Amino acid sequence: MTEVAVDTVLSVEGVTKAFGHGPPWHRRSVEVLRGATLQVNPGELVGLVGENGSGKSVLMKIVVGLLARDGGTVQRPERLGYCPQQPLLWDKLTVAEHFELFAEAYDLDGAAAAASRDGLIEELQFVKYLDYRVEDLSGGTRQKLNLALALLHDPQLLLLDEPYSGFDWETYLRFWEMAEERRSRGMGILVVSHLLAERERLTRVYELRDGRCEVA
Amino acid sequence: MTRTLAFTREQLRAPFALALLIAVPALFVAAAAGVLADFARALGGGLAGDAAASLGAGWAAAFIAGSLGFFQAASSRGADRRLALAGAGPGRVAASRILASLALAVVAAAAGFIALQLRADIVHPWHAAAAVLAFALIYLSVGVVIGSVVDGALEGSLAVAFVFLLDVFSGPGMAESPAPYSVSRKAADVLIASGLGEASPGADWLKLGAAVTIALAAALAVFAYSARSRL
Repeated sequence: MTEVAVDTVLSVEGVTKAFGHGPPWHRRSVEVLRGATLQVNPGELVGLVGENGSGKSVLMKIVVGLLARDGGTVQRPERLGYCPQQPLLWDKLTVAEHFELFAEAYDLDGAAAAASRDGLIEELQFVKYLDYRVEDLSGGTRQKLNLALALLHDPQLLLLDEPYSGFDWETYLRFWEMAEERRSRGMGILVVSHLLAERERLTRVYELRDGRCEVA
Repeated sequence: MTRTLAFTREQLRAPFALALLIAVPALFVAAAAGVLADFARALGGGLAGDAAASLGAGWAAAFIAGSLGFFQAASSRGADRRLALAGAGPGRVAASRILASLALAVVAAAAGFIALQLRADIVHPWHAAAAVLAFALIYLSVGVVIGSVVDGALEGSLAVAFVFLLDVFSGPGMAESPAPYSVSRKAADVLIASGLGEASPGADWLKLGAAVTIALAAALAVFAYSARSRL
């Protein structure tokens, strides 16, 4: 990973990725990404769309560092927020305990962590679930926690993979308001979705097709 | 500290798993010693009496600690990796996960040892306690290693069972000439000796300490490696 230039928060250049399938004596390789290139600047809200299986989540995982790329370069800032498609949470821990763990990981001091947490649970309206275990939350509330954890440290770059699945209509609209508010403060945001209904809110939309990103 | 405490709380909030952790070793020691001795004779081993009960305590603690170690590592893998990438770091997350899981190994070993004390007349109880704990720690590490690299619950639990069965049936007491690759070989030697009323030589204790240390270090390294950033 490298720090990016001041005017860019995410630069993906010619990223390739293939997955091997089958036993070693009959190995087949499927190329998912064939030189994907995209860019996100501070204050931009960028969309990445594509059909199911087009490689959107693979590209997202490569940017985050969950998957290794075969080729190409990725430049991104250190302070990054990642909201995965499937909430990656601990079922037996409470919402408050999740915030504690991530505040420590982000190296936030107690006051800053508490202020950020309180603001997010107020904004996403799940204050009353603070002491609930994740296993007792609805899918939508899990998704709110998933999003709030990605935003806790006010990242320079926010990566959202199908972030609003499970949201009710009111929360869906609030999500876009939150995204626009953060964009106006200079955060770069990349939203991945198989269907983006809010294109007018986006600075730019890339379509991932045949392993390459094209401006749609 | 926050992380280790949170992971420990997570484990304590699974009451059924905790109940199994206590019940399996206790029941195994109480019920299976006679069967184990018959089985050992059939395989050419010389396990009998209190030695069979002692070794049964070790195996029971090992199997339950290995299974729980696997499920701890596998079921929380996604969230643990997310936390590591968020800034906690793979090494620190691995250390917290393993430290928290040590509590499981201690509970399983204590249950097995207490059942053994109630069933058999062990001359060197502290030797037996240490060896049962060593069994649990070694298999906790085996479970964490498998849980760090194997995706599926079925495949992972079968892998733990495979290592366990291979180890048990080729180890001291069961086989006429124990295999050198048996991961719990030294723990079994010390445990059988304590069941026979004998003290183990210092060299056996050193080798047992080395086996436990290597197992825990391997678990830490494999977990941390699997949770590293691929960027």
